[in-house]
Amino acid sequence: MNDRRALLAFGLRKLVGAVPLVLGVTLISFTLTVHFGPDQTYALLGKNPTAAEVEQMRTQLGYDQPFLLRYADYLRRLATLDLGHAQATGEPVRAMLARTIPVSLLLLAPGFVLGTLLALFLAALAAWNRGSALDRVISAASVVGMSLSFVVILVGLQAVFGVWLGWFPVRGWNVAGVADYLHHVAVPTLAFIVATLGYNTRFFRAVLAAEMTSEQVRTARAFGIGPLRIMTVHVVGNSLLPIVTRILFSMPLLVISGSLLIESHFGIPGVGRITFAAVMSGDQPVLMAVVGLSAVLFVLAVTFADLLCRLFDPRLGRA
Amino acid sequence: MSSLVVQSGQRLRAGLVAEPAGFWALVVVVLYAAVAGGVWLGWWGGDWSALAGPGWAGPSADHWLGTNRLGQDILARALAATATAFEIGVLVALTTTAIGGLAGGLAGYSSPGWADEIVLWLMGTLDAIPFYLLVAALAFALHGHAWAMHLAMIATFWTTTARLVRAETQRIRRLPFIEAARVAGLRPRSIIVRHILPNTAHILLVQTTLVFIAAIKVEVVLSFLGIGTQDSISWGVMIAEGSQDILAGQYGNFVVASLFLFGLVMAFSLLADQLQDSLDPRTRDSRWQPHG
Amino acid sequence: MFIRQTRALICLLLLLAVACGSGPDEEAVYRHAIDGLPGSLDPAHAGDVYSSTLVVNIFDTLYRYRYLARPYELAPNLAADFPDVSEDGRVVTIRLGEARFADDPAFADGRGRPVTASDVVYSLRRHFDPATRSQGAWLWRDRIVGLDAWGLAGADPQADVAGLQALDDRTVRIELTRPYPQLVNTLAMALSAIVPPEAVAQYGREFSVRPVGSGPFRLLSLDESRAVLAPNPHFDRGTLDLAAEGFDPARHGHYGLEALDGRRYPFLDRLEVHFIAEPASRWNSFFSGRDVDNVMLPPDQAVRVLESTRPLSFRPGIERDFHTHVGQETGLVFYGFNMANPRIGYHEDPERDRANRALRCALRDAFDWDARNRVFYQGLGEVFPGVLPPFLTEHEPALATDSIEHDPAQGRRRLADHGWSTEALPELAYGFESSVERRQMFEQFRAQLGAIGYPPDKVRSAGFASFGEYHRAIINDQIDVFLIGWTLAYPDAQYVLQLFFGPNAAPGANLFNYANADFDAIFGRAESLPPGPERTELYRELNRLVIDDCVIIGSLTRTRLHLWQPRVRMLPDREVLGGFFLRFVGVQEPPA
Repeated sequence: MNDRRALLAFGLRKLVGAVPLVLGVTLISFTLTVHFGPDQTYALLGKNPTAAEVEQMRTQLGYDQPFLLRYADYLRRLATLDLGHAQATGEPVRAMLARTIPVSLLLLAPGFVLGTLLALFLAALAAWNRGSALDRVISAASVVGMSLSFVVILVGLQAVFGVWLGWFPVRGWNVAGVADYLHHVAVPTLAFIVATLGYNTRFFRAVLAAEMTSEQVRTARAFGIGPLRIMTVHVVGNSLLPIVTRILFSMPLLVISGSLLIESHFGIPGVGRITFAAVMSGDQPVLMAVVGLSAVLFVLAVTFADLLCRLFDPRLGRA
Repeated sequence: MSSLVVQSGQRLRAGLVAEPAGFWALVVVVLYAAVAGGVWLGWWGGDWSALAGPGWAGPSADHWLGTNRLGQDILARALAATATAFEIGVLVALTTTAIGGLAGGLAGYSSPGWADEIVLWLMGTLDAIPFYLLVAALAFALHGHAWAMHLAMIATFWTTTARLVRAETQRIRRLPFIEAARVAGLRPRSIIVRHILPNTAHILLVQTTLVFIAAIKVEVVLSFLGIGTQDSISWGVMIAEGSQDILAGQYGNFVVASLFLFGLVMAFSLLADQLQDSLDPRTRDSRWQPHG
Repeated sequence: MFIRQTRALICLLLLLAVACGSGPDEEAVYRHAIDGLPGSLDPAHAGDVYSSTLVVNIFDTLYRYRYLARPYELAPNLAADFPDVSEDGRVVTIRLGEARFADDPAFADGRGRPVTASDVVYSLRRHFDPATRSQGAWLWRDRIVGLDAWGLAGADPQADVAGLQALDDRTVRIELTRPYPQLVNTLAMALSAIVPPEAVAQYGREFSVRPVGSGPFRLLSLDESRAVLAPNPHFDRGTLDLAAEGFDPARHGHYGLEALDGRRYPFLDRLEVHFIAEPASRWNSFFSGRDVDNVMLPPDQAVRVLESTRPLSFRPGIERDFHTHVGQETGLVFYGFNMANPRIGYHEDPERDRANRALRCALRDAFDWDARNRVFYQGLGEVFPGVLPPFLTEHEPALATDSIEHDPAQGRRRLADHGWSTEALPELAYGFESSVERRQMFEQFRAQLGAIGYPPDKVRSAGFASFGEYHRAIINDQIDVFLIGWTLAYPDAQYVLQLFFGPNAAPGANLFNYANADFDAIFGRAESLPPGPERTELYRELNRLVIDDCVIIGSLTRTRLHLWQPRVRMLPDREVLGGFFLRFVGVQEPPA
């Protein structure tokens, strides 16, 4: 009981401590995009504007307001979740996010889950046979995977599957049912797995290999417990903390950064694509909503990871 | 303290001899560096923008790797791009290490204290902004500036170095020789620069190689997105061109640039591994994050 | 952890499968691919071809162009007939035909009401309300009596505009400040489409993603990859009269259009418009037969379907499997100089002014259009002197071609004659909108200037990530030479010559800041003339002035290659028509 209250207090303290972080994130990104970012005036004007119309548009966009006022206004809107309308299309930003985030999640989930499982499997194989030829092959393959540029992977896969084989659609998101979904998600999933497998395998292998040398695992091996059971229960079970932490940390950034390239390249209407379009065109309402929300998500993920650490590893609580 | 550096060097040399992969990686990196050096000295690659022949020509005696659609020599461009890659990699890596080392050392040494709090806050803030968003926004904000992309990368990469140095500093500063320096009346700045940072050399060295790799890979992504290298040639620009050439069934540009890029990144990765194994085996493998 | 995630994913998949099971197969569906993303579906913002494609199908314009007739011919659309124009050309009266808005909750009982003359007045007026952020107001600026003043005075919805009135439910009266022969052309543009005030009031800024109009289709869904439309049941404009649309058996006989003649349009049950900016994706989506039914090929891919480029012929397999159409764009690309920059443009010192002209002409001599055409357009483009592209009746085929010839020797002579030494040559800022192709065009341009001794390090590139930023840099005099593409929204030379009209100087469309009093005087005279030999002669004179002053390096007009599935009965020519042809697209019934 007491423990739970302490945990709650710890979590709350962490969240309150995150306020300066959120302020920092919003201030930096607001300064970058508002103060230095692209000016939308000429993108929204007609083909033959007059100087007066230019001024009018700047007023409409709020460009003539002082910086601090605009920042305060933005914070107020973010706090009340009033995200405004996209400058270019006039679509409410909230509707845009509601439309695009599920697409991104559906797009990335298979690659993320399969990629992580595959990496864990390979890492377990390598860690179990540490120092063997298999371990060396897996390690070498991870380095090769890490050395491939994401761009090269994307362009290469598109050439192979789109131009040569023609098995899968290489663009768009025309999803009306499971078959369509699997069809569209195939190449992006493959790209995602190829791009992250090396990094993840390597990380997991290091974690698992360290665990393999622990007293508990050595005892279990001595008692002749099967490799599958040792691996799943003892090794992976005991290294769950760093594994889950890494996954947690990568999630919020993944949804934006990871999906940005894939979605831009494959023409998929997800959150990464609208965000990148907003960066390039200076559509501040969209941009600031995405940055603000991802910062909040990030802080939540960090806090959650800290809580987990405390739960699994009570020593940290005492320190 | 200097014995630590010497020791590191000896371990590194021993490691390179014992592990052939690391040795060959070093050879490849040196080869690439020689190519870059040749470009800087004007020996080759200087005519990368000349319209030297017919467009999309196959390999020939004049153009060993063929030409692109404009008739520019692909080999010359790949060589010139090697120099660009080194410029970006070296500049970003060194600056990142300097900033990250100083910030991390300062934070770790003064922890807990206001300097530590500020650095922690700044790092947390920068890490919480999605990576490509921040880089794109920065590159955009500094638009037209020749170093826009470099600055954007430095601004995002230094936090990792700083975190590692900060943690190591917190460990080192409890050691007796720092205590002695403090008692002897040395100012904190001198202690950080003269005693703490040299003892984090193993971290800084490994981090420098990792940032070098990340910078080269991120350049490719940014150039592909159209916000990277300006008015110069890079592998990213070539790959972006190559991805268009594929439409017309031309693969030369794409394949050559991809292989050049892959070779250098692979060699540097193996070298970084070797460094880590020799200098800092504890933390190996945990710092790799996919960037591009 | 993973088990729970996987289970959640499976649930999600099942849900999707249940919620969005595929529809019946017997529908007449056409999947149209365009090469860009529409910004907004509000007609007041439909300044680009992508928005227009959708807007003219969801909304109605008063006029349109005949489907197949070339040269382009105007035809009444929502209007009952061509307008009555007063003797002095200043009062235009338009009678409306019958039409009804699509059903929408914005209307009182959810049922679309008839379109009236006051809707037309409202739709044109709102361009002058600053809150609309119109991209089309410039078409009617200073043209309609009292309209500009109404906007400046606060755009009071109750106030009357003397020059724009509904006489009754069916009649609109427009009073012009001076004759405007192109008015009817502007009323065929998507920007002028008719919107219901109720829907604009109800949806506010969201109107741009929830459009309500009286066009042949209504919008079902919209995202970054496609729009889905269904027919508007209230739309009734009678039947397709192929002969009246300019059907010519020799040119159109093999497209299967006859089967649609005399039938009520639109013919589709479902129209999908896919936005595919990446050429590779467009190609794959079409040739896999999976995603879209048509493709407009970029020149790079043309080599893969063509047997030869001159004369142009497709490979036998392509001719066998697909319908093809080869057309010219109704636009042009060319380089412009910033004349406001004293280092290369106008200069107060007459001698330097002449030297600057020689410099610009020398740059023009150095540029090699043939190489540009060969490398970037596979030789399919057509290079012509000046800015009047071949599709215009005012185009002058016999015009001297020295302004488009690659003549470095002459360029060097010009520089020498006016005392330009290598050191004296000014640094040039070359601007472009960042893309692989534009960047390569820059490298080609810079390398070609070497032919007249222009040092490469004096040609600086400035890439911009978005068109808006590029545009802003041009207007703010940060760029000396820039590539510009201009598509004529109506087939009248005035639409391109206005780019050089003095009063339109930056921030207006005259990005070159060209200021020639002779030009302005002739342009003013030609503008109010009706089409005819007199006007044609004036237009040609203006074209020659632009060439003589070396304001531009140009121009080139691109060739469009269209391919589509034979089961689709259509001619997908989007030039000038925008998306108007989509209402006439029919699909062959699958064999029973």
